[in-house]
Amino acid sequence: MGTGPFFRNSKPYSFCFRKIQGPIKKRNLPPFVFFFILLLSFSLPLQAYVGPGAGFAFLTSFFILFLTFFLAIFSFLSWPFRFLFRIIRGQRAYKKSSINRFIIIGLDGLEPTLVEKYMSEGKLPNFSKLKKGGTYTKLQTTIPSISPVAWSSFMTGSNPSKHNIFDFLSRDPKTYLPDLSSARIGKPKKTLPLGKYNIPLSKPEIKGMRKSVSFWKILGQKGIFSTILRVPITFPPEEFKGHLLSGMCTPDLKGSQGTFSFYTSDKERIKKREGGINIPVTLNGDKVETYISGPENSLRRNDEEIRLPLQISIDNDKEEALIEVSGQKFKLGMHTFSGWKKLTFHPGLGIKIRAICRFYISQIHPHFEMYLTPLNLDPEKPALPLSHPFIYSVYLAKLLGSFITLGEANDTWALNEGVISEEAFLELTYSNHEEWEKMLFNAMDKTKKGLITCVFETTDSIQHMFWRYLDKSHPALQSGQANMSANVIEDLYQKMDELVGKVLDKTDEKDVVIIMSDHGFKSFRRGMNLNSWLYLNGYLSLQEGKKESEEWFKDVDWENTKAYALGLGGVYINQKGREAKGTIHPGEETKALKRELIRKLDGLKDDERNAIAINKIFDRDEIPSGPYLDNCPDLIVGYNEGYRISWDSVTGKVNDIAFEDNIKAWSGDHCIDPRIVPGIFFCSKKIKIESPSLIDIGPTALELFGFQVPSHMDGRSLIDIQNFSLEKNRKEEKK
Amino acid sequence: MWIFNSAFGKIFKLIFFPFRGMNPWVGMILISFLTALLMLFVFRFSSNQEGIRRVKNKIKAHLLELRLFKDSLSLSFKAQRNIFRYNLKYISYSAKPLLVMIIPLILILIQLNLWFGYEPLVPGQETILKVELEEGRSPLDIDLALEPSAGFDIQTLPLRIEEESEIDWRLRAREKGVHDLTFIVNGQRLTKKVAVAQKPLSKISPMKVRRSFINELINPGESPLPRDLPIKTIRVKYPAKDMNLFGWNIPWLLGIPPWLIVYFVLSIILGFVFKGIFKVEI
Repeated sequence: MGTGPFFRNSKPYSFCFRKIQGPIKKRNLPPFVFFFILLLSFSLPLQAYVGPGAGFAFLTSFFILFLTFFLAIFSFLSWPFRFLFRIIRGQRAYKKSSINRFIIIGLDGLEPTLVEKYMSEGKLPNFSKLKKGGTYTKLQTTIPSISPVAWSSFMTGSNPSKHNIFDFLSRDPKTYLPDLSSARIGKPKKTLPLGKYNIPLSKPEIKGMRKSVSFWKILGQKGIFSTILRVPITFPPEEFKGHLLSGMCTPDLKGSQGTFSFYTSDKERIKKREGGINIPVTLNGDKVETYISGPENSLRRNDEEIRLPLQISIDNDKEEALIEVSGQKFKLGMHTFSGWKKLTFHPGLGIKIRAICRFYISQIHPHFEMYLTPLNLDPEKPALPLSHPFIYSVYLAKLLGSFITLGEANDTWALNEGVISEEAFLELTYSNHEEWEKMLFNAMDKTKKGLITCVFETTDSIQHMFWRYLDKSHPALQSGQANMSANVIEDLYQKMDELVGKVLDKTDEKDVVIIMSDHGFKSFRRGMNLNSWLYLNGYLSLQEGKKESEEWFKDVDWENTKAYALGLGGVYINQKGREAKGTIHPGEETKALKRELIRKLDGLKDDERNAIAINKIFDRDEIPSGPYLDNCPDLIVGYNEGYRISWDSVTGKVNDIAFEDNIKAWSGDHCIDPRIVPGIFFCSKKIKIESPSLIDIGPTALELFGFQVPSHMDGRSLIDIQNFSLEKNRKEEKK
Repeated sequence: MWIFNSAFGKIFKLIFFPFRGMNPWVGMILISFLTALLMLFVFRFSSNQEGIRRVKNKIKAHLLELRLFKDSLSLSFKAQRNIFRYNLKYISYSAKPLLVMIIPLILILIQLNLWFGYEPLVPGQETILKVELEEGRSPLDIDLALEPSAGFDIQTLPLRIEEESEIDWRLRAREKGVHDLTFIVNGQRLTKKVAVAQKPLSKISPMKVRRSFINELINPGESPLPRDLPIKTIRVKYPAKDMNLFGWNIPWLLGIPPWLIVYFVLSIILGFVFKGIFKVEI
């Protein structure tokens, strides 16, 4: 009797109350304290404790524990079956393996002459240690010596004619326009027009253009696990046994290779900028109302750009700003990079497209200026696949925090175009580097057996942008920013040495470590506009009345053009039946024209500087053949040290200047004669070949894990496997 | 305390006023929604949102690790250990908002018990009226009388139970309405409200208690009894209220009444639904 429905099996409140009321009164505690004691002892609060608020936390928590428990049981019980299954399928993968782990650290563009110099000065102790205990030599690169080509050869163990990557850019012979050589990202083929929308009925086309098979895919087929991080030309990610995070050539949210935004209230700073866009802003008091330029809205029929409103409130005294964007507010001081900020674009129909970016205010007075990094695909919710398996990028982002996903991660164009300072560029670049180091060490911690490969483009980017400090005669030192010294490069090499040290600390005798670069570096003082040279020498014609052509051959008279240059090192014959408006017959006429061009260009002199500009022209008929040789430029130009194709020539501009000074911060390069820019090769073991090549690393990995090198690979194993096994046995016996 | 109870009670009266004639589920959904909002607000401003976000990400990462490294038993165990570790950390991050929430939540629950805990009597229904005296006080020595009321028939003479220090009557409800039962104790008049056949959502106070902070906090439905009287509580037994979901009476669970189960479930669901809108990490 008298029991309320609150607790059917418990005593009414008053009964509980009676039990505790006495002692509390005796102690004369204030009611508030008494109340708290009551809360902790009374049955009602205990139920409140699992109530809505607490329920949020506890439900989630218990759900996770339950899920973990379930997965643990499942994993534990199913493991013997999976193990058995692998045995039945003959996948005792590591049975023949001579090693536990094969670890490859790619330091893109590390230059052998500098490594040797700094080693001799005692500045690279870890590189020296590797050299002493194993191998150091130069590494032959590819023709041409360009990262996408070199890394594609590295991963396939074959020459470019077998993997189809000959440059950053390939050309469409029907339009003479450039395409990205590594991947095609197209719109969905089937759409349903509905009002102002175009509803996609199929997936957008994402197609990798690199052919042949990577050595980690072959290893995977044999049951060897691999973790591949940021290796160029791995977008879109391919399926294999292991984890892969795509590297160079992964696009940003706009589908470009990286488009920064530059906000400025200074009208004089508004100009065309390579690799980025200007967004003029007006200060209304201390406020700026502007927008973030997003991707084209492919859901809409008119493909308009999706924009996100961006409000900036400036505090002049504190030299900081309050930034409001995409439902978040944060303060940002001048000359400080924000962390990764998540943005959500809304193209319509309830769809969300996510990106991440970082903000940097470079100036508040007298003009407001702000840099916004390219819109990276959010690794937690990527609009395009970034990794294999798909959840790998999600996993990395959850574990280590958001990270840069853009292929060309370090924003060299922003520095080149004077949008950010050298200091800011370095800060951003090393911040990216730190993210990749974390990924690498996470992979090393998790992989007890298998292949680990990680490529750092930090070395390439910093050398491109700061090489002029090593070259006192560089024209860019006289123009533009030059606040730093040669120490920037030295610091870079020392930082890489520290990285090598950390990697070595995490390895043992059963691991093989390779530290390598895909090519070296040289100064880029003079640019050669090859298209202008072709024009001046009668091989390329402009439309009547024109003395120069705008970008992408806009004013070229194709019907009277014999040859044209596109990309960083290629010359194409305007061939009949292949090019849309070809003029040169295939066969003997083409061969004759090539011979003529080779004769004229081989050893070409820059009269203004009295120096050889081109060392050698490589005829595609003389390079190793393969099924994709037809896609190779007809001629590949091997520039001399100090020279490279000019910025204008790459983009198809034609004028009457063949040679010009390179006055951009981008002052070092490697798109030259491959023979003068070999890479570096360090190995923790002795190798049997004196002059190794990039294409030898894949076959070496296969052989070390106990598998035969497939016949389609051009490379050879670098390690004498029999001696290696004997050496291993001896060491084990000693132990 | 009575002033507070009265004011707090009026808030609930105001909230439920438009829904009194409707199915109690309507009021329950509304109050669950308001509670969810309150909880989200408390979580947002009293918890380490960044810490919770970070820890949840770690938990998710290690859960993904179980999938990514399923072939490695040792990595799976490490991932499980990490999940457990971060789970504890997550619970510790939730402790502060829980402590902040516990007080308002108890006050809300006490009020809700008055609205959803009991069914009013119906005319003709019998119930027990029980007067509990202070400890050691003999019911035989006290001068206590219950006045006849238009709303009730007093069916028995007072039953004085000395061992329990209480005096009981059996009553039968006669008319609809909220009636006052009047007692005369030592020449002093006391009243206790009794509800008969009210609207589907009505406030029902089963117990009137002697003035004290805790007593009044837990039984806020009526003004307290004076301290100078020997009476501790006056109680009317009402039937428990059912929560009927499409013909199914939600059962009691481990002694927890149906309305409380519904309230918890609904407020948690609504909290999760609206957390994204209010950008709250829970």
